[in-house]
Amino acid sequence: MSDELVQIETPFAFNEENQREFDELIGRYPIKEAAMLPTLHIAQKQAGYITPAVMKYVAEQLEVTVMKVKDVVTFYPMFFEEPVGEYVIRVCHTLPCALRDCKVVLDHLKAKLDTDIASETNLAKGTTADGKFTLMKVECLASCDVAPVIMINDDLYKNLTPEKVDELLAKLAS
Amino acid sequence: MVEERRILYEHLDVPDINTFDVFRQYDGYTRFEKAIAEYQPEEIAKMVLDSGLKGRGGAGFSTGEKWSFVPRDIEPRYLCCNADESEPGTFSNRYVLEKNPHLLIEGILICCYAMGIETTYVYIRGEFTLGKKMLDAAIKEAYEKGYLGKDVRGTGLNIDIYTHPGAGAYICGEETGLIESLEGKRGQPRNKPPFPAVEGVFRKPTVVQNVETLCNLPFIVGNGVEWYTQMGPTYADTRFDPPKPDANTGTKLYCISGDVNEPGVYELDLGLTCTELIEVAGGLRGEEVKAVIPGGSSAPILTHYELDTRLDFTSLTLAKSMLGSGGIIVMNETRNIVDCLLNIMKFYAHESCGQCTPCRWGTPWVRDIVQRIADGDGRKETITRPKFGVAENGRWGDTGETEEIYEDLDLLESVANNIANVDTMTWNTICVFGIAVSWPAVSYMRKFRPEFEAAIREGKLVTLPVAEATVPPEENYAYQQRFIPKEFADL
Ligand SMILES: Cc1cc2nc3c(=O)[nH]c(=O)nc-3n(C[C@H](O)[C@H](O)[C@H](O)COP(=O)(O)O)c2cc1C
Ligand code: SF4
Ligand code: FES
Repeated sequence: MSDELVQIETPFAFNEENQREFDELIGRYPIKEAAMLPTLHIAQKQAGYITPAVMKYVAEQLEVTVMKVKDVVTFYPMFFEEPVGEYVIRVCHTLPCALRDCKVVLDHLKAKLDTDIASETNLAKGTTADGKFTLMKVECLASCDVAPVIMINDDLYKNLTPEKVDELLAKLAS
Repeated sequence: MVEERRILYEHLDVPDINTFDVFRQYDGYTRFEKAIAEYQPEEIAKMVLDSGLKGRGGAGFSTGEKWSFVPRDIEPRYLCCNADESEPGTFSNRYVLEKNPHLLIEGILICCYAMGIETTYVYIRGEFTLGKKMLDAAIKEAYEKGYLGKDVRGTGLNIDIYTHPGAGAYICGEETGLIESLEGKRGQPRNKPPFPAVEGVFRKPTVVQNVETLCNLPFIVGNGVEWYTQMGPTYADTRFDPPKPDANTGTKLYCISGDVNEPGVYELDLGLTCTELIEVAGGLRGEEVKAVIPGGSSAPILTHYELDTRLDFTSLTLAKSMLGSGGIIVMNETRNIVDCLLNIMKFYAHESCGQCTPCRWGTPWVRDIVQRIADGDGRKETITRPKFGVAENGRWGDTGETEEIYEDLDLLESVANNIANVDTMTWNTICVFGIAVSWPAVSYMRKFRPEFEAAIREGKLVTLPVAEATVPPEENYAYQQRFIPKEFADL
């Protein structure tokens, strides 16, 4: 049996800390379903990506159908249905960043990481062989004054040049 | 040179202004205290209406008027603060969240008091992890100090604020998309009416307000309506007799990016011109201004002929553009407008929520046409059918000319106008995302037609000099609709 199938069958449940966060969250809304996005964020933080087991668990917690959870997961670009690298690199490529040469940064990252750019339906394409990085393009990150910008996981990096990218990657690799 | 007037951003760079104690030293929460001590809720709503405050999130709708639509007899009512900030070119809300979150909380408190609201959700875009962290910390402090929670400061008011993260979808900035998303569904906008003010989140009356709009409230209450209305021009709406004042009061957090030397957020009175703003932002990077996008990527473009246009809600609407979110993107002579349009259309094709057929199919279609033109495969036909005109013999007849038909440009306009028609301002879609697609598509193409034609003719992207890239105003229908408003005081 392939690894993938085993993984699907591994059940998912919140760890203690996340359970506490979830319990606090659910009290904020008059209907449980409204806690969908924050719950999925917590689940993704714990599981790395949204597996079918995660969807099933979230559906049970929020008392909705699994289909409804899937419906939401497929709509929002920040939820991943496939494994991603340890560091997710989001490169902004909308107009203000494009006017400040984001393409140079993107090409440099591509060459340095020796990978393609992930698409929403194929994250593996943008993930490095060692599973450390996933490279993707995103739309305006609301920091156009310090363009070009990238985000690595939760952190924003500003006014990038190929040299700065090298420094960043060196820091992450060590 | 126009001076910056920092009000919302005045204390932004004070160290630790994000903490309660420091914020308190700079009059923090005193305006809320003044509101509850001196005014009835209805009086606050009246002040906001009289101040002429217009929504800063995009639509520019009068905030006081919006509040007046909320039925006060249906409980509970909700406030949704729109911190989804994803319009390309806009970045002013981020700094408020990251640096001065207590100001937003104070604005929310005033709104809740005025509208009798007990629960507020702040919808923060998923990528703003730092902003959410700072706001969460500030909310926690406000609870501890008794400014939030049960029986706020012994007044009997109960006010709760919760943050709610988005997950990377632009359309969740549209108010009904935001509401759907908040309810835990796909962020697909709802048909209006009913408007959110009447039936919003959890099917209850909901006020949806941008971060910047809410941050204006403490200053309106603190310094009074008269002080507030001095800032910015008030125009005369001459469709009414006697002319009705049309306020563009207050300051705006202008976000300027692209080809200027010092991009950033500048807080200025509404109503300065493009040229003045570029000067404030350290001047142009380059030789000549080729184009300016005045209100986020959804706004129709302005050319170098239109740099005297004042950047406020009324002037830009009358110039057939919009102030939108106040994201100004400047382009210099080296930029190719076809390329810029391609970038923007890729954005919209990616972000359509997919509910309405014209938008779901039309937007990628527009993108593909622009892509084809940019790739050098734009379609053109040389037609030799007789063209009527004044012939050489001075008489009306066949001039024997051939005519170049740029099929792809006509197609582009037709597809875009079938998503939303920019001339009649009617849209075939549920939300105004449709307009946000066809506005840039049609305006770029009409105003910079020579550059589009050159790309098709030469089979590659050609960047024309500024003077040749645009059509002169007298020959272009797109400019002839432009109209410059008169100030009320000048009448
Ligand atoms: C496609 C689309 C995207 C929008 N994005 C935002 C946004 O990111 N932030 C925002 O405050 N308003 C956005 N709006 C405007 C909102 O629909 C709404 O008008 C606004 O939040 C109302 O608040 P205000 O009156 O304070 O401006 C968007 C509108 C549309 C049609
Ligand atoms: S116009 Fe586009 S974004 Fe708006 S509801 Fe329709 S499909 Fe969705
Ligand atoms: S375009 Fe890149 S941050 Fe706005």
